[in-house]
Amino acid sequence: MARQTVRLRQIKSHWPLYLLLLPALGLIATFMYLPAATGILHSFYRWDGDELATYIGADNFTKAFTDPTIRHAFAVVGILFVANLFKMIPSIITAVVIHRVISDKARYVYRLLFVVPMVIPGMVVLLIWKFFYNPVVGLLNSFLTATHLLDLFVKANAWLVNVHLADKAIFMADRSPAWLGDSSLVIPALIFWGFPWIGIIGVLIYLSGLEKIPKSVYECADLDGVGWFRKFVYIELPLIATQVRINLVLLIIGVLSDYGLMLVLLDSSGGPGGAAMVPGLYMYYNAFMKREAGYACAIGILLFFIILALTFINNKFVRVEK
Amino acid sequence: MSRTSESPLARWLKHGYLWIMLALVFLPFYVMLVVSFKDNKQFSNHPWAPTWPLHWENWIVGWNTVGVCIANSIFIAVLTTVITLCVAVLAAYVFGRYKVPFADLLWAAILVLMLMPGVANLIPLFNLMRGLHLLNSLVGLCIVSAAGGQIVCLYILRNFIEDMPKEFFECARIDGASHLQQIIHVVIPQCGGIISTLAILNFVGAWNSFILPLIAIRDPEKLPLAVGLYQLQGAYVKQWGPLMAAYFISAVPLVVLFAFTMRFFIRGISEGAIKG
Repeated sequence: MARQTVRLRQIKSHWPLYLLLLPALGLIATFMYLPAATGILHSFYRWDGDELATYIGADNFTKAFTDPTIRHAFAVVGILFVANLFKMIPSIITAVVIHRVISDKARYVYRLLFVVPMVIPGMVVLLIWKFFYNPVVGLLNSFLTATHLLDLFVKANAWLVNVHLADKAIFMADRSPAWLGDSSLVIPALIFWGFPWIGIIGVLIYLSGLEKIPKSVYECADLDGVGWFRKFVYIELPLIATQVRINLVLLIIGVLSDYGLMLVLLDSSGGPGGAAMVPGLYMYYNAFMKREAGYACAIGILLFFIILALTFINNKFVRVEK
Repeated sequence: MSRTSESPLARWLKHGYLWIMLALVFLPFYVMLVVSFKDNKQFSNHPWAPTWPLHWENWIVGWNTVGVCIANSIFIAVLTTVITLCVAVLAAYVFGRYKVPFADLLWAAILVLMLMPGVANLIPLFNLMRGLHLLNSLVGLCIVSAAGGQIVCLYILRNFIEDMPKEFFECARIDGASHLQQIIHVVIPQCGGIISTLAILNFVGAWNSFILPLIAIRDPEKLPLAVGLYQLQGAYVKQWGPLMAAYFISAVPLVVLFAFTMRFFIRGISEGAIKG
């Protein structure tokens, strides 16, 4: 439907429209633009988050560019981002498998069942995973011991040390690995987190894309003897490409800005030796632990521009043919 | 999709895969339920299998610890959702129906916020809330959450309102309906499906919000669920049974919500995905 154009000189009779916009715009101006503006301002100050503020020019930014912790934090985010790309796969596979189930009723029931875990609060999921990773009573270590996978890890680790591919033994016999307490195990633990990595919102969105495929396309493919894998690559994947791309954008923003995961599973200093320090967490740490709010603001602004640039690149180069 | 032929092997593979995935996805439920009935001795002897006698008193302890947080979270989630949707529907109506002067500029100013990570302005926001005396206030927390949450709602609702037939609005206007009446009698009934889906998503989002309440709420009796549980796990490391019972109880409100809205929700997500 074409929108009705209101010209500037008609505004006299249409001014109530602005009244309807007022609550939305007022909230955005007060709680998003105003803090953003003061944040930019304060990034040029040495500021303790309270009254004390001294103007120091661009020192916070030069400090950020030379800070080894920040470099490390972006490296961690890079690793997590690549890992999260792979963690998108189970959702896609699950959506395709549900879509290929023949009975209408079974398809509906599967969908319903996969939605049910959404009732668990996010915090509980995190705390349960923390419990799984617990070195003494955790499910993961019990599982690894019971299946003797741990012995395998120990042997593989020893072999790697022998051939000088690894420099130290992470897994040792008769010692249960502390997944969240060992600086070399923290990143793998953060990657493995959430297994089997099925995000139900993602699955539902993919399914809605898949359902647009006409039956005749499959019939043609069957006649031509197209196998299940080629059907996936040539029929199903192109149809969910748009949704995959949207999820990719959300993923970039999510990975770069999220740090609740690290805060809950580890602590505000990014776990043992700061191994899992990410930019968002470093900002939080600077603001509320070290009381260097000015520096924290500078990190936040840096993050914003990086996300902006990545989204722009994604929109420009990751084109989806329709 | 339904096809005529399917080999039994393919059939078993598909269902087998889905059942294994479901088992893994439901594993946390099992762990919570089983452990919540144990005392610590039972837990250290047989951590993963059910044991008798069942310790029902764990659930009472669990309820006593998270009951207040649940009440707070329900209040926060309901109020945040209501504010978010009211504000978003009003603005989406204007953006979807009219091209007022500066509309494009304002729209761009709103959309760019979708890219702004919440973390970037957390500290100034904290200061602003302190200045406005919104710290340690549940209503303040709801207003600030709604300011951020409305953006996505606005974006999706605008698409839906733009696609509505013009005649609906014209008829209403001929009958003398004001803007507000058009919103109440035309927009809300016509977009009911997507509005309720957005309501559920906002509710779940507010239910799970963690960082903002963590810094904004100080009083223990005002803590929402996520923060309450986060602080509980530090204090109760030794008592796994009551802790797991508390975790399980904290899932109950959403069970109730989803029990009534599941069909809606699944359909709404699919519709929203196509249009948004």
